[in-house]
Amino acid sequence: MLTTTDSKTMAYINMFAVLGTLENLCELDENASALLSGKKPIRIGFEVKGGPSATLLFKNGKCRMEDGIRDCEVKLPFSSCEKFNGLIDGTTTPIPSKGFTHIGFLLKTFVPLTDLLAKYLRPSEEDMKDPAFRKKSIEMTLYCAAVAISQVANHDQSGKFSANLIPDGEIAMGVKDSIGATLRVKDHHMVTIKKPCEHPRAAMEFSSLDVVGGVLSGQLSAMGCICDGTISMRGMVNMIDNVNRILDRVSLYLS
Amino acid sequence: MSFKINTYTKSREMFNRAFKVIPSGIYGHQGPSEGCYIPNDAFPLYSSKAQGTYFWDLDGNKYIDYMCGYGPNVLGYCDPDVDAAALEQLKKENCVTIPSSVMVDFAELLVDTVACADWAFFAKNGNDVTSLAVITARAATHRKKIVFFNGYYHGVSPWTQKLDYPGILEEEVCNNIYVPWNDYAALERVFEENKGEIAGIIAQPYMHGNFVDNEFPADGFWQKVRKLCDDNGTVLIIDDVRAGFRLDLAGSDHYFGFKADLICFCKALANGYNVSALCGRADLKDVVSSITYTGSYWMSAVPFAAGIACINKLKQINAPALFKEKGEKLTTGLVAAAKEHGFHLKATGAPALFYLRTADDDSLMIHQEFIAEMVKRGVFLTSHHNHFINASLSDEDINRTIEIAEEAFKVVREKHPL
Repeated sequence: MLTTTDSKTMAYINMFAVLGTLENLCELDENASALLSGKKPIRIGFEVKGGPSATLLFKNGKCRMEDGIRDCEVKLPFSSCEKFNGLIDGTTTPIPSKGFTHIGFLLKTFVPLTDLLAKYLRPSEEDMKDPAFRKKSIEMTLYCAAVAISQVANHDQSGKFSANLIPDGEIAMGVKDSIGATLRVKDHHMVTIKKPCEHPRAAMEFSSLDVVGGVLSGQLSAMGCICDGTISMRGMVNMIDNVNRILDRVSLYLS
Repeated sequence: MSFKINTYTKSREMFNRAFKVIPSGIYGHQGPSEGCYIPNDAFPLYSSKAQGTYFWDLDGNKYIDYMCGYGPNVLGYCDPDVDAAALEQLKKENCVTIPSSVMVDFAELLVDTVACADWAFFAKNGNDVTSLAVITARAATHRKKIVFFNGYYHGVSPWTQKLDYPGILEEEVCNNIYVPWNDYAALERVFEENKGEIAGIIAQPYMHGNFVDNEFPADGFWQKVRKLCDDNGTVLIIDDVRAGFRLDLAGSDHYFGFKADLICFCKALANGYNVSALCGRADLKDVVSSITYTGSYWMSAVPFAAGIACINKLKQINAPALFKEKGEKLTTGLVAAAKEHGFHLKATGAPALFYLRTADDDSLMIHQEFIAEMVKRGVFLTSHHNHFINASLSDEDINRTIEIAEEAFKVVREKHPL
């Protein structure tokens, strides 16, 4: 158990797990898609020195994240992982190196979108009393955590140790008769696909969105849930065991 | 023939009580999580009594038990000879200010029985003595590093765990070196890279890890390892907690034709009475004497008396040969039952500690379904741990197990038609 986190892994989580959840926000929340309504397609590139780079494409009221930077209308460079993490924490104001004419989109659309995302990923107790909000919040949190698992598996010292013990194959992670994500492992490198897994080698299934919420917020123990049956597992349980160890690290990064 | 399907109402009720006052309800390997109860509702959770090769759960369901308490049941639950010796000792004394002389009798018996043993040190659990073995290796060599073989299990102390385990500090595992099992070249390389720094190698006598077929040492492997340790002044520790006395009463190192410097015993030592032992070569006796290591119950007399009765009975019945015969009969029957329904069941490891894997899918889900169907019909197996044979298992039990396996595989085949 490492007691510290590193800023590079944090940057990968912030990029692909946190900003990547804008994809789901735009699908799940009508206010998000309304913010994009009538806007021309636009690509925003994030380039972090010594860290991740990715492009967010906003088109037809939807959002898609792609690895790397390609054909961006707006490019936001960051001199370090710490500076990029500051963007997510709200302590860094990015200055575009390209796309000054699109500042309006950044300020009037992108910032409100990320504010909305933060509302779902760091929900208040009051907001969580609303069942519809709660459902969307937990769903987004699940996708965020599922992507963060891959980032920790690929970049964090402890995560890489755990991933090194996971054989090749796909791990299903989802809620019974509802949403799901796939963790694909090849040569100890992990990729998250935000779709249910069709041919899992191992599966971890939460009995409800509330159980997901409880585990991801640290209010419920995954081990306890497996024992009382609210999380079921099957297949190569050693894969799930190592994913749970990575999930512990994810909690530390996202806390 | 159709077998009764178990239900577990009382077990579940008890679990609900337990969940409020015990972490996870049942923690550790004897619970639903680490025990890999898949699906959770196919397994009983609490026992009510045990006799011979059977236990009964809280709902009154009877099981032919191939986990044997994860090893301690070696002669049969409530073996009359062992229990009589324990009760006789209990009438005299148990946990007293100074040790009972029965401790010396037990140590002498182990020294006479175990090939590499010149002395014996007693504790309670396997983990107590694997830990002492590692401390001894470090004290003897004044070195830090310990080599492990992948797939190992040596207990739960911090040094046995890994970097990514909750509550385990990096500093507690930073001197652990991991090497693939049976890969002598890798081991030699590790010794070269850490010249003069390796205190000990700790290993089970063969690889009985979970989720993978268990694997015997390659020809000459242990002999080469022995020489490597001798050439480098490294202590060779055999963790015989699981296999001890089931393969060879003289120790599993003896079975594989080499001599350990230190050997750890527990499970089969006293047929369920709580005692473990570290045995070793003469020149390490004084090293152990110098180590501060003790426990409140480590010199309790009752388990020593039980251990003496147990070891003597294992000798009397030539237990290793018996286990091999019963294990082979059982696994041959199970493999045939699988084949009858078009499944490929693999039985690996020693027959006395057979490991099962249905090799028809790489997810092990078919195997988990098979195991669940067996448990529901009164044969207690687990999906991913090796099993154990005990001396009270009869041919009738084996035959019934195979009949149940035929039905279980039939049910699984119906779910997965060819």
